[in-house]
Amino acid sequence: MPTRFWCFWGLSLLLLASAQGTPQSEDLADSTQPKKLPTGVLLVKGAWSSASDPLTAVPEGGKVINDAYRNAYFGLTYPLSSDWAEKYSGPPPSDSGYYVLAQIRPADTFKGATQGTILIAAQDLFFNLTPAQNALEMIRYTEENLQAGYQVEQPPTEIRISGRSFVRLDYGSPAAALHWRVLATEIRCHAVEFVFTSRDTELAEALIQQMNKMTLPPEADLTSGTGGGDAPVCVKDYAIGENVIKKVAPVFAERRFNPVPVRIIFDREGKVRHIHVLSAFPDQARAITDALSQWRARPYLRDGQALEVETGIMFGQAPRPPTPASKTRVIE
Amino acid sequence: MKTTRLTSAIAVLAFLFPEMALAQTDPGVRPGAINGQPGATPINPLPLQSVGVNNPAGSLAFFENGLARFQAVEVVANGANNGLGPRFNLNQCSGCHAQPSVGGSSPASNLQSQVIANGIVNGSTNTIPSFITAKGPTREARFPFFLDESGSPNTSAPNGGVEDLFTVSGRVDAGSCSLEQPNFSSAQESNDIIFRIPTPVFGAGLIENIDDSTLIAVKTAAAGNSFGVSGTFNHSGNDGTISRFGWKAQNKSLEMFAGEAYNVEMGISNEIFPQDRPLPEEDQQGSGLPANCLNLGGTGYPEDTTNFAPTASGLPSAQYASIPSDVVAFAMFMRLLAPPVPSPTSPGGPASIARGKALFSSIGCATCHTPTINSTQPSAFTPSLGKSAVSAFSDFEIHHMGTGLADNVSQGGAGGDQFRTAPLWGLGQRIFFLHDGRTTNLLTAIEEHASSGSEATLVEENFDTLSAEQQQDLLNFLRSL
Repeated sequence: MPTRFWCFWGLSLLLLASAQGTPQSEDLADSTQPKKLPTGVLLVKGAWSSASDPLTAVPEGGKVINDAYRNAYFGLTYPLSSDWAEKYSGPPPSDSGYYVLAQIRPADTFKGATQGTILIAAQDLFFNLTPAQNALEMIRYTEENLQAGYQVEQPPTEIRISGRSFVRLDYGSPAAALHWRVLATEIRCHAVEFVFTSRDTELAEALIQQMNKMTLPPEADLTSGTGGGDAPVCVKDYAIGENVIKKVAPVFAERRFNPVPVRIIFDREGKVRHIHVLSAFPDQARAITDALSQWRARPYLRDGQALEVETGIMFGQAPRPPTPASKTRVIE
Repeated sequence: MKTTRLTSAIAVLAFLFPEMALAQTDPGVRPGAINGQPGATPINPLPLQSVGVNNPAGSLAFFENGLARFQAVEVVANGANNGLGPRFNLNQCSGCHAQPSVGGSSPASNLQSQVIANGIVNGSTNTIPSFITAKGPTREARFPFFLDESGSPNTSAPNGGVEDLFTVSGRVDAGSCSLEQPNFSSAQESNDIIFRIPTPVFGAGLIENIDDSTLIAVKTAAAGNSFGVSGTFNHSGNDGTISRFGWKAQNKSLEMFAGEAYNVEMGISNEIFPQDRPLPEEDQQGSGLPANCLNLGGTGYPEDTTNFAPTASGLPSAQYASIPSDVVAFAMFMRLLAPPVPSPTSPGGPASIARGKALFSSIGCATCHTPTINSTQPSAFTPSLGKSAVSAFSDFEIHHMGTGLADNVSQGGAGGDQFRTAPLWGLGQRIFFLHDGRTTNLLTAIEEHASSGSEATLVEENFDTLSAEQQQDLLNFLRSL
């Protein structure tokens, strides 16, 4: 008798719950509720980078993977200690061609007494705001323009890292007791910089020594990293004048005033293989990509051989007059 | 006995953990002279020095007239200052721009929370939104995205415009106007709401009078920095020159700034380009016009100005000051308003402040928060605006500030994570920080500079490496501004 009693009540409760509308399928419940925007996510971008195809490497495509910073565009791999990691990604490429490729800092597992940071950056020399024409001149410019309060600890000096020539500048702030070690080389017409910041100069030296485990492309050089080999050669202002056989001007839907730096790769026949827009609004990027994809250039010849060539074009801005290069010496 | 034991315990802890005893703290709002200017009061900020001595004649009257209008209480109709609404955030410029004095930022007590109690809005047609509190910042609200049919944010339809808090419905002077407030609670539930607090306008005339080529030179000088910083400018959609006012530097001039605020914040419906315009390529190259082509009239800029004291009639200048529209008067008030003066001694003493100033530059803060821009162009308004250094601690560029600070509102050329470098002059006497007033603690405001996508991450990391004493020196320096 008691069993039937409890079965009856159990069944009654079940029927009662069903009548009151127990939760239906997840889909039906969600569709009646407004969706929430995610927090901490950028949904409305201003001018941003884009590329004509997702397969060709771009400078900002580098990542920290498996204890190393790897960048296919620059052909470099920089091994990191396992207790160093990237916590925050950098900003997008700037409209003056500056990239924050990686910002690396001690991970939570770091046991060292003092800390520091590693900035891996690149300046596209086609769009440089400074007069510098190569990595050496970039570092000279940095030294010449150090603000008051900094002291040069070692002037620009050529050094070898993994068999390639770099320029190194050391400076520090007595007020903050901070030291900067800036090492740069040129790859594909970019000044690629490694900036080590720390209060501990020994820590900084250890991180610099780690650079000797880097893999670098053969062309990396402090004054003549101009591509070649597996990468296109890079030539400033190639797509001008008689070099361009067919030119189509972009048609912009809206008048804007931001500079739009663009890198373009022509294949051996002079056809456009790849377009990388460093910073543009979507409508600008579309108009420029549509137009540039129709361009034809004279094949770039070196020693009688046609090569792929990478060059830069700045849209949305008047051409800058040529500026004199720095004349400061380098200690070798 | 208990007090003795407690004191002993604290002493032991301080001995064992000295850093705890010396932990850096935000000194808080700096006491003393308002804006560092003896003679300034909460309702009487000081004008520029030359205006204070009425140079040129009539300028002081215009400053005072603009100040008075800035404090005027607006009504819908039948009053001395009509036109309020039909939607608004508050009925008085100085109700929001009040700390540490008129022209400043958000005050400690939020008048927006009292609009029903004070009879400014009808309580049967309006409610106080939950994000407006008595001790919180004065705010405007925006919805980054429009809503779709289901009431969900539509990320394909950016909004970003101001959603005014209150309506005039039910006011005696509003006739039969009947409006509903925006659905703030729904927007909050779907995370589709952001806030902005008032920007201070002290020293705004100096900011307005910086030539584009000067700003471009400042940007070029920062190139090659070791901090990962590379900003850009917002531009006027009218002529392509650099705009500089507002949280995203979206407004070209003070009249634009005043006109937009009057219309958007108070619903009251108003100018305009203060520089000789070079060719676009001359502007972008940073050379501007050749020097022998500038100021050909010899009176400074702009070449057409409000007439402080025309010679054709004998009216006193105070009456002339009443001729321009409110928007023009607001702009003139802001233009002639003196910048804050830093304290050399408070808080922490001169040595700490000096050390903090050195640290501010060394660790990279000054890369964006440029301490001084030299200098403004000649001024046709008043001598204090011409050939003057602008110690605003800002480069007036827009910078990516990352996902932590992004508000998903684009304005002009500034995207959802880009903000104008906030001028830090006057910081010492501000209460609420960052664009939405999310914190009253300077340390928190500094920490928020680091997030994914931010140009300021490495500089914030440098701050973290400083010792507690060094961080305190830097905080003392900031609170001295």
